[in-house]
Amino acid sequence: MEMKHMNPPLPSEGEGLGVRVPADWCRCDGTGGLDERAVWSRRAVMAAGVSWLASRSALAQATFAQDKQDRNVVVVVFLRGGADGLHLVTPYFEDAYYRGRPALATRAPSDRRGGPRCVDLDGRFGLHPTLAPLLPAWADGELGIVHAVGSGDSTHSHFEAMATMERGLTNQSDLASGGWLARHLESQAGTSVPLRAVAWGYTMPESLSGAASATLVETLSDFRLRAPRGDVRERLAHLYQTGGDQLSEAGAQTLGVLQTLEKLDPKEYKPENGADYPKTPTGQAMKEVAFLVRQRVGLEVACLDSGGWDSHVNQAYLDQQMGDLAKTLAALRQDLGREMSRVTVVVQSEFGRRVEENSGLGTDHGAGGVFFAMGGGVAGGKVYGDWPGIGPDQRTGPGDLRITTDYRTVLAEILEKRLGSGAVPDVFPALDSKRLGLFRA
Amino acid sequence: MSLSRRQALGVLGGSALALAGCDGVARGVRRLEHRPARPPRPGQEQDARFLNRFGFGPRPGDVAAIGDKGRGAWLEEQLAPKPEEPLDLQMMVRRLDIEQLGPWDLRDWKREAVLAQMQQKAILMATYSPWQLRERMVDFWTNHFNIYAGKGLAAYRKPLDEREVVRKHALGKFPDMVRASAHSTAMLVFLDQQNSTAAHPNENYARELLELHTLGVHGGYTQKDVMEVARCLTGWDEERGFLRKKGSFVFRPELHDDGEKTVLGHRIPAGGGESDGDRVIEIVTSHPATAKFIAQKLCRYFLGDAGPEAEPDVARAYRETGGDIPSMVRAVAAHSAAVAGPPVVKRPFDYMVSALRAVDAQTDGGAALQKHLAAMGQPLYQWPMPDGFPDKTRAWTGSLLGRWNFAFDLVSGALDRTAVDIGSLLKESALDAAGCVYGMAKGSPALARVRETVAGLSAEESVAVALAAPEFQWR
Repeated sequence: MEMKHMNPPLPSEGEGLGVRVPADWCRCDGTGGLDERAVWSRRAVMAAGVSWLASRSALAQATFAQDKQDRNVVVVVFLRGGADGLHLVTPYFEDAYYRGRPALATRAPSDRRGGPRCVDLDGRFGLHPTLAPLLPAWADGELGIVHAVGSGDSTHSHFEAMATMERGLTNQSDLASGGWLARHLESQAGTSVPLRAVAWGYTMPESLSGAASATLVETLSDFRLRAPRGDVRERLAHLYQTGGDQLSEAGAQTLGVLQTLEKLDPKEYKPENGADYPKTPTGQAMKEVAFLVRQRVGLEVACLDSGGWDSHVNQAYLDQQMGDLAKTLAALRQDLGREMSRVTVVVQSEFGRRVEENSGLGTDHGAGGVFFAMGGGVAGGKVYGDWPGIGPDQRTGPGDLRITTDYRTVLAEILEKRLGSGAVPDVFPALDSKRLGLFRA
Repeated sequence: MSLSRRQALGVLGGSALALAGCDGVARGVRRLEHRPARPPRPGQEQDARFLNRFGFGPRPGDVAAIGDKGRGAWLEEQLAPKPEEPLDLQMMVRRLDIEQLGPWDLRDWKREAVLAQMQQKAILMATYSPWQLRERMVDFWTNHFNIYAGKGLAAYRKPLDEREVVRKHALGKFPDMVRASAHSTAMLVFLDQQNSTAAHPNENYARELLELHTLGVHGGYTQKDVMEVARCLTGWDEERGFLRKKGSFVFRPELHDDGEKTVLGHRIPAGGGESDGDRVIEIVTSHPATAKFIAQKLCRYFLGDAGPEAEPDVARAYRETGGDIPSMVRAVAAHSAAVAGPPVVKRPFDYMVSALRAVDAQTDGGAALQKHLAAMGQPLYQWPMPDGFPDKTRAWTGSLLGRWNFAFDLVSGALDRTAVDIGSLLKESALDAAGCVYGMAKGSPALARVRETVAGLSAEESVAVALAAPEFQWR
């Protein structure tokens, strides 16, 4: 759908604004009966549309005056719970890996004994077989991996480590307000559109906290207001547009997003090139990311979560998580095709896991982990980062993979090269200028 | 819950109604007694606020009532709840299977059914129990000792945890609650404790016991302490034996590490067996960092940004009383910020329950409401991490659409098994829509904005907009 016009056309029945108008909204017989709902009338819909549009404020006007440029998009996928980097991307040349994980280890590519074998990447590291859907991107040089990456947080606490990473700090005593993505968005003032930053989930991720322009959705398709008629919406909009509290700002933002989305139809989105997104929350959220990318509504930052990576026990279940992740990323790439040139996906997790397995066929909280970067702007086909080794005397803390790459250098480079930010010092104060060269401008 | 003589008589008279409510075209909870709702007096804004903070907001008549007895007397009454609950509430809750069956019997049910009944109970109790402060504390402790019902068999263990850990100790002694939680198989299963053996202690529960339940992440413990606590707790497990009460707590000496340990500088001698874990709980619950951490969380929950001001008093109350929860709550309520401080954002559960109470809704707390809770971002018992639903404002700014849709659905009668009668409500309360929703007298200056905005709308629409307004999102 192209949106060249400054003002949207008036809606016709059953589309456009999509205001559902019960015929007799106010009749309430006290039983919660449902028989009188959802009766449509062309006149009611038209009336709602007209008054809703007439009420548009300056804020709402800005909604439609958006730039139609091919904006670059960054998609952040956060693996919640501390993903086991050694399991995802295995250093199969390390004897220490096989000694530390007699039960859980993935075999080397050339090992012909039974059990899952990893897929060779560069003669040293191998991708877990469930991540195989990522191999085409690797082969095309559009998938890069950073190993032994992490933050300076040493608490081994999910919450501290996540907060540190999402706020873009080295540890929790650093001072910087809000999340790293929020600081980036705020540093590029004047370019805000309603769907500039979208997070899929139940609560706003810490990385976007403090960003007035961020929107949280469970799914885009369900992002609809069931207000009875336009006049009532108008009153509600008035309350949020004139309120002075923190929620009023968010409410006005939400109303702007509603107006934009009412002109789109995410439910009907058909992925291209035969792409098949997994029927999982992450997969379906990614499908909606692709939809927004194609719609060119000004999306710049998308945040997705993938849960269940805290594998203390029976780590074999991770096969499912990894499969979901890989299929989701592969589907995005297949679907978007050439559009992938302006999309960069970064996959991160708050920490990796300990080198040695525990008695429950799982692994405990560790330090260094693995990040993935995928997209047309990625200098891929390479495992980045200095490998510190995992021998007993090379580990840190209670037996963790040592961190050799500050995770902020990866995120900073995305901002510089992919989002053209000149304000990285505002986003990551005191970060040095060392970069991996993982991204291309 | 026990029945008083009068209530027992009421059962006979009201049973036809109550049964109809159970099985018929469900009409939600029926009130057997009709409560004449007196309107609030001018100047009672702080009373309304107090009820929003220390309960789930006023039902019609509540503000006038607390005005009569005074906030202090109301609080004392609430700090010592009696076992009785209104009959209609008892009828609704007692017939839930999760109330009747232990973890060992629930296993035959579908996880979704258990989860739905748990949520139903939470909504019903918070909406209809007169012991509002206890319900507030149940909400607080449920999140403090959060258990994700989606993990393993935790859903089947959680109803017992809700009764025997959270509800039982909500206004008791904190160390007792920690002890009960450490014996709760819902918690042990959630945090992988059942796999912790002498050869390979699992640190998951040990870490969260220190980090989230007691000392706090900056409470002065080290990774070494975590590992030592894990050793102390090896063998704390759940029963899995044939014909045994599966899912009950059991200590397995053969899995326990009986060597000497050192926790936070305290030596725990070898051979302590099960008592090692008890000793750990003693050490951490009597630690000053725990007093500070619990005070901090309680203050943030009740007072939001003004929390730090009251924290020292509350921490002192913990230290002086050995973690007596009523003493801590009293210290929170005594602070001026309790009625005069900055507002605290309502989480979706707060929002939903306070809306149901404000319009005196009749509901069964069932699927229709639960679906809305999920859409607003707070599907109960389904926060996957052990830290509980967030209490920061920023975490909830994105959930407004879900709240608006709930307000409109509630008032328009679109929710299955939930009903409101706005006409009678306004007539009986002798208030306008805004006054009724917020529990404030006609002409209260706090409501000027909302009042002007809804002018000219129908009564139902006015109530819906008042519930959806920014003002109603705060407590």
